[in-house]
Amino acid sequence: TRAPGGAEDGGASAGSPTLEAGIEAEAAELLPFLMPGARAELQAEAARHVLALTGSGPGRALLAGQAALLRALAELAAAPVPAPACNASRALVNLAADPGLHELLLAADPGLPARLLGRALDPQWPWADEAAAALSNLSREPAPCAAVMAVLEAAEPGEPVLERLVRALCTPGYNARAPLHYLGPLLSNLCQRPAARAFLLDPDRCMIQRLLPFTHYPDSSVRRGGVVATLRNCCLEHRHHEWLLGSEVDILPFLLLPLAGPEDFSEEEMERLPIDLQYLPPDKQREPDVNIRKMLIEAIMLLTATATGRQQVRDQGAYLVLRELHSWEPEPAVRVTCEKLIQVLIGDEPERGMENLLEVQVPEDVEKNIQALRGQLEPPMLRAPQGPGWKQY
Amino acid sequence: MERLGPDAVSDDAMDSFLEKFRSQPYRGGFHEDKWEEEFEKIPLFMKTAPSEIDPKDNPDLACLQSIIFDDERSPEEQAKIYKDEGNDYFKEKDYKKAVISYTEGLKKKCADPDLNVVLYTNRAAAQYYLGNFRSALNDVMTARKLKSSHLKAVVRGALCHLELKNFAEAVSWCDEGLQIDAKEKKLLDTRAKADKLKRTEQRDIRKAKLKEKKEQNQNETLIQAIKARNIRLVSEAAGEDEDAASEGLAELFRDGLISENPYGARVSLDDQGRLSWPVLFLYPECGQSDFISAFHEDSRFIDHLTVMFGETPSWDLEQKYRPDNLEVYFEDSERAELYRVPPENTLLHTLQHPRYSVKALTPAFLVCVGSSPFCKNYLRGRKVHQ
Repeated sequence: TRAPGGAEDGGASAGSPTLEAGIEAEAAELLPFLMPGARAELQAEAARHVLALTGSGPGRALLAGQAALLRALAELAAAPVPAPACNASRALVNLAADPGLHELLLAADPGLPARLLGRALDPQWPWADEAAAALSNLSREPAPCAAVMAVLEAAEPGEPVLERLVRALCTPGYNARAPLHYLGPLLSNLCQRPAARAFLLDPDRCMIQRLLPFTHYPDSSVRRGGVVATLRNCCLEHRHHEWLLGSEVDILPFLLLPLAGPEDFSEEEMERLPIDLQYLPPDKQREPDVNIRKMLIEAIMLLTATATGRQQVRDQGAYLVLRELHSWEPEPAVRVTCEKLIQVLIGDEPERGMENLLEVQVPEDVEKNIQALRGQLEPPMLRAPQGPGWKQY
Repeated sequence: MERLGPDAVSDDAMDSFLEKFRSQPYRGGFHEDKWEEEFEKIPLFMKTAPSEIDPKDNPDLACLQSIIFDDERSPEEQAKIYKDEGNDYFKEKDYKKAVISYTEGLKKKCADPDLNVVLYTNRAAAQYYLGNFRSALNDVMTARKLKSSHLKAVVRGALCHLELKNFAEAVSWCDEGLQIDAKEKKLLDTRAKADKLKRTEQRDIRKAKLKEKKEQNQNETLIQAIKARNIRLVSEAAGEDEDAASEGLAELFRDGLISENPYGARVSLDDQGRLSWPVLFLYPECGQSDFISAFHEDSRFIDHLTVMFGETPSWDLEQKYRPDNLEVYFEDSERAELYRVPPENTLLHTLQHPRYSVKALTPAFLVCVGSSPFCKNYLRGRKVHQ
């Protein structure tokens, strides 16, 4: 049997018809080797080839046009050993990263979200992270996101799927073979939907509280970013702000902690900070990822939308942390967002005991900037920053 | 009461029965003066049951009891009876008795696992209210071994861990419970409480650590300052001197200066980098002493003596201790020799004397009236350096 020829010229110009026809023919030739029942080494080779194809735009587009091939690939991605589920999964991740292909993917395999979800939440499945990443990529756009939510909402006896998702994300060692960091961005994408937010914000459950400690999870910026984006999306729900800022959830310290550095505050200032931010060790690092810092500030900003929320945020010592952050922040865009928030906290409302804050000197040009931008808050970005698709290997 | 015969129903029998009492007193009745007591003894009319039932004292009650706790009943029935008894005691807040009842129920080793789970869980609750949190925890763990999904056991376990300040464990148990019932209110509340307490505890640890670090740094600075001045230190306890590793010095500080110095004062460094020492003046003639809590190293002995002896101290019966006639000495304990300290000397200068060692971080000096017979006597027979 002839091994599939190299099609590593995926980077070549997309316009050439003979090239395209060649690739298309090859893709069609791959199909029998991807079917269940084909010999293991052939399946592996075919999967590797497909993965290589997904490394380029034209390659992906061509694959997406082959419904049967996609279905076979999706099945392979969930098949047990010795099937090349890993490479098949990674191929799916790359395909799903391409927003133009979502419709084709779902049309070819409507059961794809359900299957991916099942694999992502299976504690024994070694490629659970790949499944989660594929699903996360898939759920970035509104239409596929709705499709995924529909799968979740499909009446299931026992534990609601979102609960399983949160549990899988928040239980260390849930899956011994996969770190499951990509469940983070997946959750944040699902939280574009009000139904998902409502579930996380259910005061009769303990859902959002479980996510809070992960705002300073050092081992993965993917997970951290996903969790922070989830929290920020949840902060859109104004009706829940008082509960979020209150003692049952106590969200603010977890948003502030990654923004805090090893400041040496006086005793008096220390007492004004939330407990989690007091007496931080001298080696305390701030959140290194610029996007995550921005999202944290945005989340706090959302919480200041109501007067009560503003007061709670003030009372819990946010100003001190933001002041220090502002003098440290190297990234101009984030510094501006920080300034906007500080302005809101200092605000026009005459508050008792806040007189000293009004003495804060804001440089003139910044002042002008703030006035111009005030009232023009950027529309909240709901999606998690795009996670990396897997490159071919 | 007298037992009536089989034909007591007939009127005649009744009449003849009643007739008897014209001549004989009724013996079975209550005694006039003790009737309330006797009333209380009848099981039906008891207001409270006695805690111990003595068959001689209370035969009827003992009889009833033996019917209830009859060994002929199945272990399951007996265990259930003990469980109910325990629950009754529990409702009355008699937790000690409740524990006993539940224990008796468990002793029956009945075959009904649900019953045993309840017995363990209830006993755990009673133990909890008695403050025996570890025993309670053992009981719920046993209960959960029999039935891991028993929610009441999980709740009780979480509460026990909370009381024992095992906050992480408490949260963990709550999470396990919430997997059984995601909306159980007690678990949600306990989890929130435990989490907050855990975070407070972490804050306290951070605070203590920072404080310790700060003290260490301060001590380190002090040690450096003393070393820089070539002042010899001696630990009272070990008797070894400063030439040993500087660890010895650090230990001196760590061993708590405050405890060695009963006055609670210690050597300190001011903003200009100058030291102040706690200093003892000893007056061997009168067996008295004076303690100066902060003797600045640049100040002179005469300055202090002038202030201290501006007025005659109460123990100076001959009124002879005056600033201008006092002599100051320090003792070189190694060689048992005395060295005279000119009062115009600063403390620093004196401490830097090659033969001077500071004991217990508190310099001490001997003071007496120069021309007095005591002083002359004291100095005789000892080598004195001027």
